[in-house]
Amino acid sequence: MSKMRGAAAIVGIGQTPYYKRGTSPEPELQLALRAITQAADDAGIDVRDIDGFVSYASERSDPSKLMPALGTRECKFASLVWFHGGALPATLNMASMAIMSGQADIVAIYRSMAEGSSQRLRVIVAQDDTSAQYLVNGLDSPAQILALRAQRLMEYHGVPQSALFATVQASYFHANNNPNAYGRNMEMTQEVYDNARMISEPYRLFDCSRENDAAACVLVVSAERAKHLKQKPAYILSAPMGTMEGGGALEENWKPYYATAGQVELAERLWKESGYGPKDVDVAQIYMNMNSMGIGAMVDHGFFKMEEAGDFCRFENLVAPSGKLPINTSGGDLGEGFIHGMGLIPEAVRQIRGTSTNQVPDANLSLVTGGPGDLMSSTALLGSESTL
Amino acid sequence: MAYSFEQHKMSGAIGADDEYWRGLEDGKFRLPQCSSCQNWTWPAHYRCGKCGSWDFKWVDLEPKGTVFTYTRSQYAFDRVLERKDDVPYVTVVAEIPAAGNVRVMGVLKGDETGLAIGAPVKGSIEPPSAKTKHYPSIRWELDL
Repeated sequence: MSKMRGAAAIVGIGQTPYYKRGTSPEPELQLALRAITQAADDAGIDVRDIDGFVSYASERSDPSKLMPALGTRECKFASLVWFHGGALPATLNMASMAIMSGQADIVAIYRSMAEGSSQRLRVIVAQDDTSAQYLVNGLDSPAQILALRAQRLMEYHGVPQSALFATVQASYFHANNNPNAYGRNMEMTQEVYDNARMISEPYRLFDCSRENDAAACVLVVSAERAKHLKQKPAYILSAPMGTMEGGGALEENWKPYYATAGQVELAERLWKESGYGPKDVDVAQIYMNMNSMGIGAMVDHGFFKMEEAGDFCRFENLVAPSGKLPINTSGGDLGEGFIHGMGLIPEAVRQIRGTSTNQVPDANLSLVTGGPGDLMSSTALLGSESTL
Repeated sequence: MAYSFEQHKMSGAIGADDEYWRGLEDGKFRLPQCSSCQNWTWPAHYRCGKCGSWDFKWVDLEPKGTVFTYTRSQYAFDRVLERKDDVPYVTVVAEIPAAGNVRVMGVLKGDETGLAIGAPVKGSIEPPSAKTKHYPSIRWELDL
């Protein structure tokens, strides 16, 4: 177990609506302000007292731009965690460390995206890290690059298409109950899935997330302070970040394993630091930029073995309230909306509070996995007070 | 002689592979091997992570390998629109046994019959063109 275990907690959540990409009525800086102020209201914290700011990936709403509008009294800590969606749960690590070491008292973790106000897809998201080796050979998008991994997962390791479909079906089933989900009106059937166009084989349209314009925020404070605020705290039990030897910026040369999420070592540290294991988890928000990568994340976390994926990934096992492992209960990256995974943390918190629109009864341990297959990744386990 | 790719240089990722592209433009398939411990480092880098040497030799190889994985792109993606008329096209990641099983990407050429993980492929070199962003490229062809 680690010193970080339970030292800090999430006490506030804020989310703007999800807009179709490029249609947000507000620029992304304003969306960030909406999410942060909403999270402060939710927590019962004066937004001016937020003194730490953490984001990740290609976030452009940096704290220097937010401060004047938030009325920030003093910014004491500001940091960006490296890489793309892989960094999502690692923001909780960063915030916990800032709080434990006395560098900040109230840390906002946020992500804001709006296509109109930043050249997100072409320039910002790519962050100048798509090498010529890809572009010369007709590969540009994460959908294509992760399709290479999916092909290996399915053809070589034998994970069936039905497992991919089950994650899509579960995501939209949950989205249908979530009035804030972008996919709330989408009825997902085998026919809709099968008839959707191919994007990059083996991925069909609904295997892929679609980026939305939106922002989300969670507020982190010390466990001590959390006790005196409005909401039931979601304690951060562990949030390891990193990558294994043989991972990192190696393009398609990852070894010893390739087709899953690069999270085996992270998950081992997660279980060790938290004192829990995969069997203890009540509910999981699994990052699904592309769904087979999320299946890889579940394999890496030990929920099932590669050869068990077809049997485990069935609709009834993946849905709230009574599935073996309800996943993406807000609709997740596929059904709720995708802002590089940032919708997953608020939903993991709602499950602990008991306020999800697809609530798992008595959810005490709530997992959030980071961008699978990213150059570096992370994962986090949240718990109620009873899990400390 | 001026190399085409140098006039159209893309930045991104590690960026230590100029010698690979020079090799292809000169009609050679070359990969970097550590001069000291003989480890193959790919993608190319500046220092050997195994032994600490800063010296690599670029070894001419016969472009032969096996399919490690592949995808068939069915959509004209934003930054590779030069290939929109070729959609669908297959990009192969080939494992190169003669170079410690490092994996090198290339677009599939010729008949797709028998395309599968593990299938043998041979490479041929194509000169720079707009489709390859004015870089030279290796094309993999099934060699069943």
